[in-house]
Amino acid sequence: MGRVVEQGIQSLNGTLTARADSQAASSTPRSRAGWLLLPSLALVLLGLILPLFLMAKYSVSHFEAGAVVAEGLTLENYVRFFSDPFYLWILLRTLTVAFSCTVVCLLLGLPAAYILSRISHPIIKTALILATVVPLLMGNAVRAAGWMVLLADRGLVNSTLIFTGIISEPVRILYTGSAVVIGLIAVLLPFMIISLQSVFEGIGEIYEEAALSLGARPWKMFFRVLLPLAVPGIFSGCLLCFVLAVNAYATPVLIGGPSFQMMAPKVYEQAIKVYNWPFAASLAFILMGVTFILTVLSSLTLQKRYGTV
Amino acid sequence: MTHRSVFQGGLDRRRFLELGSAAALGALLPSETKAQGAELVVSNWGGDWNERIVKGFENPAFGSSQLRIVHDLAPVPERKAKLLAERRLPRGTVDVTWLSDADAYEMNSQGVLETLDVSRIPSSGHIIEKFRLPYLVPCIYGGVVILYNPAKIPTPPSSFADLWNPKYAGRVGIMDQIYFNYIYAASLANGGTMGDVSKAFPALLDLKKAVQPRLYPSHQTLAAAFQSEEIWISANYSARAVQWEKEGLPIRWSYPKEGAVFISFGAGITKRARNTEAAYQYLEAMLQPKPMGAISVATSYSVATNNAELNPEARKSLEFTADQVAKLNFVDYPYAAKSDPKWVEWWNKEFKA
Repeated sequence: MGRVVEQGIQSLNGTLTARADSQAASSTPRSRAGWLLLPSLALVLLGLILPLFLMAKYSVSHFEAGAVVAEGLTLENYVRFFSDPFYLWILLRTLTVAFSCTVVCLLLGLPAAYILSRISHPIIKTALILATVVPLLMGNAVRAAGWMVLLADRGLVNSTLIFTGIISEPVRILYTGSAVVIGLIAVLLPFMIISLQSVFEGIGEIYEEAALSLGARPWKMFFRVLLPLAVPGIFSGCLLCFVLAVNAYATPVLIGGPSFQMMAPKVYEQAIKVYNWPFAASLAFILMGVTFILTVLSSLTLQKRYGTV
Repeated sequence: MTHRSVFQGGLDRRRFLELGSAAALGALLPSETKAQGAELVVSNWGGDWNERIVKGFENPAFGSSQLRIVHDLAPVPERKAKLLAERRLPRGTVDVTWLSDADAYEMNSQGVLETLDVSRIPSSGHIIEKFRLPYLVPCIYGGVVILYNPAKIPTPPSSFADLWNPKYAGRVGIMDQIYFNYIYAASLANGGTMGDVSKAFPALLDLKKAVQPRLYPSHQTLAAAFQSEEIWISANYSARAVQWEKEGLPIRWSYPKEGAVFISFGAGITKRARNTEAAYQYLEAMLQPKPMGAISVATSYSVATNNAELNPEARKSLEFTADQVAKLNFVDYPYAAKSDPKWVEWWNKEFKA
C-alpha cells in the first residue's frame, strides 16, 4: 500500500513539474516552432483532404455506361446502395468479418500482451517482441500465398487431415469466409499485441499487487482493476484492428476468392474494372462513414462506462 | 544596386549563344534522328508476358539502336485507368500501349488512342484483313475454346453446351476474371449472339444448378485445379491450353461448333505520346516476320500477319484452321462497352452469390 502512495506522490510531482515546464516553454523558441507542422499539414491537405473533396463530388455524379466522365448532381449512387439488399449484405458481411477478427485478436492478444509486458528478462522480452513483429515484415500478398498453400483442397491442412484418416474427402477451407477471418487474424494479431503490450507496460504491477494483497481473486483483480485501467489502450488496439479489417483488400481477394465479396474489393472493382467512379466513390464514403460512426459510438459508450477513452 | 545577370555562374554570353544554337539545331533535325536517340515508354503487362515480348521482339529489334525502351508495367485495369486519367494532360507518360482488342476499343472511344497512319507502318499490309483495326496493330490472336482433361473426358467436347453436362457436376471450372466470356459462350450455346446475350443469363443459372461449377480467381488457380484433377472441363483461351499442355498439365482443347470467342492483342499509340516517331518505328519493327513469329511462339497465340516466321510444327500447334478462323465470333464492342457494368453486377449478384 505504501508503494501505491509513493507512486501517487511521484506522479503528482511529475505533473506539477511538467506544468511548470510547459509554462516556461511558452516563451521559448520551441513554442514558436509550430510552423514546422506546415509541411505535414500541407501534405495531408493535398494528399487526403482535397482528393476527398473530389471523391465527394464523384459520389454525387451520374454514371453513364461507356463514358468515364462523371457529371450531374444526384444521390442515385447512395440510393442504389441502400436500396439494394446485395450491397447491404456486403457491408454487413464486411463489418461482421472485421468484428469477428477484432474479437478473436483481443482474446488472443490480451494474455499474450500481458505476459509480454510482465517479462523482466530483457533478452527474452526483445526476442518475443521481435517474434510478434516479424510476420509484419512480409507483405500481405506473400502471407496470403502461404495461406493458399496451407488451406487449398490439396493443401497441407487437408492432406494432413486425409492422411491421418480424420476426413476422407478434402474440406473446402480456401475461398470461404473462415479462410478470410483466419488470414486477417494473422495480419492483425501483431498490431493488437503491440498496442496492448504498451498499455500494460504503463500500468504498474503495484496496482495488481495492491488488489491481490487486499484479498481480491486474480479474476476479480483483472476485471475490477486491470481492465478498467487498460480500457483506453484496449479500445485503441481494437479500433486499429477493426479499421484495418474493414478496409482489407489483399486477404479477401486472395483467400476469400471470387464469391466472398467484401467492401474494399468492391470499391476497387467499381473504380478500376467497371469504371463506375461515382458508385466507387459512394461505396468508399459509405465505408468510411460507417466506420467513423461505429468508432464514435463505441468511444462514447466506453467513455460513459469507464470515464476515459 | 547590383545588376544580376542570367549569364552569371559560368554561363557567359558566348556560351549561352552556343547552347542556344545547339538547341535550335536539335529542334530542326529530322524527327527520326531525334527518335533514334530518345526514350520510348511502352505500357505492357508485366511478368512472363513482358519478358517474352522483350526477348522475342524488343531486344532483337532495338537492342543495338540508340532508342531506349522504358517499360510501364501493370495489369490492364490499372494501365487503362492511368491512360484515362492522363487524357486531360497536354502530354502523357506513355507512347505505346499493349492492349486486347476490346480494351483498345474502349480506350479509343474514350479518346486515348491515336488513329494510326498506316502509311507510316509499311508492313501493316501483312495483317490479316479480318483482324485490322484503325487504332491498334494486332500482333497475336486466339479464341475462347473448351479445355478438358483427356483422361477424364476421352471424347473431345464439341460445344460450349458440354459444360452443362450433368456428368461433369462439380468438375466444371469457371474463371472469375473472364466472366464476359462465359456470358458469350452461354449465349452462343443457347441460340444467342454476340450482340444480344440475353439468353445467356438464364442459361448460366441453369449451369449453376446442373453442375455447381467451381469458381477460380485467376488463370493460375484454374491451372492448379486442372492439375489436381479438381476440375475436368472449362472454357478459356486456346493459348492457355497450349501453354499448360506444354507445361505438362492434363489439358487438351477443342474448338466449339458455335465458334470460338475472338480475342487479339496488339499495340497502339496514345494521343498524347511524346515520341510518336519512335512509336511508329516500334509498331513497324513488331510487324516484321521474325518478331511476329517469336511473339506467337512465346505467348502460344496465333499470329495476326500472313508472313510471320514460324516453323511448320509451331504453325500447326498454334494456328487455327481456315474453317475455325471463319467461325470466330467477334465482340460487338459498342454493345459490350454499354452492357459490361450490368453484366458485372449480374455476375456478382446472381451467379457468384
